[in-house]
Amino acid sequence: MSHEYVPEIATDRDGNEYEVQGWQGDFYGGKLGFWLFMLTEVMMFGAMFLALTYYFSLHHQDFLDASASLNRYLGGFNTVVLLVSALTMGLGLLKMRSGDVKGAKLMIWATIILAFVFLGVKAVEWTAEYHHGVFLGLDALQSGNEHSKPFGQILFFGMYFTMTGLHGFHIIIGIGLMVWLLKRINAGKVAPDHHILHWNIALYWDLVHLIWVFVFPYFYMIGAGDVTGGITHGH
Amino acid sequence: MSKTYFDETHCAIGHPKSTFWQWMLTIDHKRIGIMYAVVMFTFFFVAVATAMAMRIELFAPGAQIMDGDTFNQAFTLHGVIMIFLFIIPGIPAVFGNIVMPLMIGAKDVSFPRLNWFTFWLYIVGCIIALSSLFNFTGEGLDFNFADTGWTFYAPYSLNTGTNVITTLVAAFVLGMASILTGLNFLVTIHRLRAPGMDFFKMPLFVWGIYATAWIQLLATPVVGITLVLAILEKYFGIGIFDPSKGGDPVLFEHLFWIYSHPAVYLMILPAFGIMSEIIPVFSRREIFGYRTIALSSASIAGIGYLVWGHHLFTSGMSDLAKTIFSFLTFFVAIPTGIKFYDWVATMYKGKIILKSPMLWALGTIVTFAIGGLTGVTIAMVGSDIHLQDTYYSVAHFHYAILGGVVFLLFAGLHYWYPVVTGRMYKEGVAKVAFWLNFIGINLLWFPMFIAGYLGMPRRYFDYLPEFEIYHQVSGLGAAVILAGLVLMFWNFISSWKSGEPSGTNPWNATTLEWHLPSSPPPLENHSKVPYVDFNPYEYHHGQPVVKFDYETMKRID
Amino acid sequence: MGTSTTVNYQEEKGAYYKVLVALLVLTAITFAQPFTFLTDHNFGMQLLIGLVKALIILFYYMHLKGEKLIGWTVVFAVFLVMFFFLIVMIDVNNFQFGDVSHITNEVASAGSGSASHH
Repeated sequence: MSHEYVPEIATDRDGNEYEVQGWQGDFYGGKLGFWLFMLTEVMMFGAMFLALTYYFSLHHQDFLDASASLNRYLGGFNTVVLLVSALTMGLGLLKMRSGDVKGAKLMIWATIILAFVFLGVKAVEWTAEYHHGVFLGLDALQSGNEHSKPFGQILFFGMYFTMTGLHGFHIIIGIGLMVWLLKRINAGKVAPDHHILHWNIALYWDLVHLIWVFVFPYFYMIGAGDVTGGITHGH
Repeated sequence: MSKTYFDETHCAIGHPKSTFWQWMLTIDHKRIGIMYAVVMFTFFFVAVATAMAMRIELFAPGAQIMDGDTFNQAFTLHGVIMIFLFIIPGIPAVFGNIVMPLMIGAKDVSFPRLNWFTFWLYIVGCIIALSSLFNFTGEGLDFNFADTGWTFYAPYSLNTGTNVITTLVAAFVLGMASILTGLNFLVTIHRLRAPGMDFFKMPLFVWGIYATAWIQLLATPVVGITLVLAILEKYFGIGIFDPSKGGDPVLFEHLFWIYSHPAVYLMILPAFGIMSEIIPVFSRREIFGYRTIALSSASIAGIGYLVWGHHLFTSGMSDLAKTIFSFLTFFVAIPTGIKFYDWVATMYKGKIILKSPMLWALGTIVTFAIGGLTGVTIAMVGSDIHLQDTYYSVAHFHYAILGGVVFLLFAGLHYWYPVVTGRMYKEGVAKVAFWLNFIGINLLWFPMFIAGYLGMPRRYFDYLPEFEIYHQVSGLGAAVILAGLVLMFWNFISSWKSGEPSGTNPWNATTLEWHLPSSPPPLENHSKVPYVDFNPYEYHHGQPVVKFDYETMKRID
Repeated sequence: MGTSTTVNYQEEKGAYYKVLVALLVLTAITFAQPFTFLTDHNFGMQLLIGLVKALIILFYYMHLKGEKLIGWTVVFAVFLVMFFFLIVMIDVNNFQFGDVSHITNEVASAGSGSASHH
């Protein structure tokens, strides 16, 4: 805080005093504000899942076929990477709150590295898909040519690249936020007695993980096992 | 002479000395509200001019001053400006910013720097929208604004050669500004109310802003992502709105209206809040049914999320979905009806003071009642099949938005003019301007109910000769309303410099924005934050009960 | 204001590791489920497992356990999304024009050919 903020006191008719909550130094307000921002992300990804479910309903079997063709093990590996990164981020915040600033920074670095691993695996996946001819703009995902996939598969992959792409974009933003957080810690602006920024960035990272918790099974796992599994029984 | 918020301010970056940079960098909610108002009303008049051009074109059948393609661009421009640049920022951006913190006894919003950033984000959105008007070709400017209607339905919006995508980007940025405003207001109302002011001691305008903020926060992201998906569809062919790949245009309509219907409640809830402020003051008595009005704001916000499908009755939705939406839509009228009843009950046995804010409020009761009731008539699927996409719908929503939201915004401009400027406008001029607007809106829009019922389609550049009389009466109404608007704004602008000083409480009202130590207010609002152990509308025999010593903000009644 | 340094790292870290193990176990179950149990209901099971993971993350990593106001706002937002799903899915599952609509009766092209869904 640049200016020292002293809270005002309000007095009622009986002389009782009440501390006035100002906009400065409001930790709970900062937490609440960031949670509200995260709700907008829930609505945004929720709408995308809605579009996905809409077409899953219209093109059920195509979706299962397309899902079965994704590399489940790369996706699963990324799931574990993100899971561990949520741990490191959480432990980093815990260290900050307990006074261990150096340990906190190490944990943030660990999280950044894991985030890059995630992006790397994603790049490998997308490259493999590209080489199989399955990518935005390529024939398989256009209609009316000899390589065209059926409607449901085109829509599945359209949403796959959109949602994993937007999710990856949020990972990149997360890396940026974590780098910025490290700078603020080094500048002394984030410290054990003033860590709302660290708290909120940790929450952001948990949100990114939460989104993946639903993205992964929806795209990678619904076509697993017997391909006729799913909501309706096979035909 | 004590300093006012025009003399000094807090800035986001540094401590600039020049007046210009103090305005550019100010984080003061009162100045930010004024800047929103200046930009918004400038765009408002551009959209009004566009509407006047359309009315001139439609005065007779055939082409008058523009061709069909240009007409399509004109109604798109009118809609995009009015909706995204004017009415959605609307009352929250102006009075939510200026008045809401004053009403809860706060010194600013919870995140003043975010508020500053949000204003400039709004400006960036406006600039992007302006840039979508033209293409810069070798020979100069080519007018290439979108021609899809403000609803941008796929697949046409993705195939047209006009600048749709730029407008979608603008709408996305403007949507982010709306989200951040809602977020800021939610935290402010939860955290910064004066000690003792629990939720049911808040003025009803704050309830209106609170309910609105929930819609701003949760509904806007849906249209945001819809615009992103449309952009991805256009450039990467993801397929979700493209029937040639199995995509369904009805999905676009679902996603678009999941936001755009709650958006109209976002518009009207703060307006109803203004009504709830004005009626008690100019009836000199406590509002009737405070708690039900407060809870009805919350229920309108909640139920409003559930009814969007009534915009899709003719689009190919399943019959089951149509029935569900029609049923739910009838429910949303109930809380509004409750408010109307409570307002009229407040006036009963009150001592009515027919000053200009009250004229606007009473006029709105008439015009919004027409708008709201005609909405109920088209909530029935059967009648909507006939009336959808005719002038009947257009008249319905203009009565509701212009005759509801905008009229109450104008009421608020009159009511809170003394708080913002420290002056009073000319009352006689204000009354004349009101009557011009009121007569004008009815001349302009009432014939359209009839024309629509008889089959005049909306967004049509040309029409059969049997509809000409309705367009001509509407054209006359447009001229009358334009005169009223110009007169009203002339009154405001000229009175800012030369109007009578108003004092801190010219209307003898009770809420906290009228208990500031100076007029205009000081930078940090109240001299001290009061302890609130009173209800917001306490009158006894027509006089406010609660009185303060303005240095200590202690009660002296 | 919640920024004191009386948090003890050694005491609190246990909860974080327990959550990690729970999430890893649930991830393993995610992989095993389509091949082992309730395989006719893959979609539902996968989402259910995801939901359990999400609740654990929300309550413990995101400290939602013990938060009243914030908890209710999350519930409100999730309910809204669920309602949008409910109605839109009712609409698309009662699609009346499936027999004649282009999007559910794609023209068979050379290399593909998924027949229309029911």
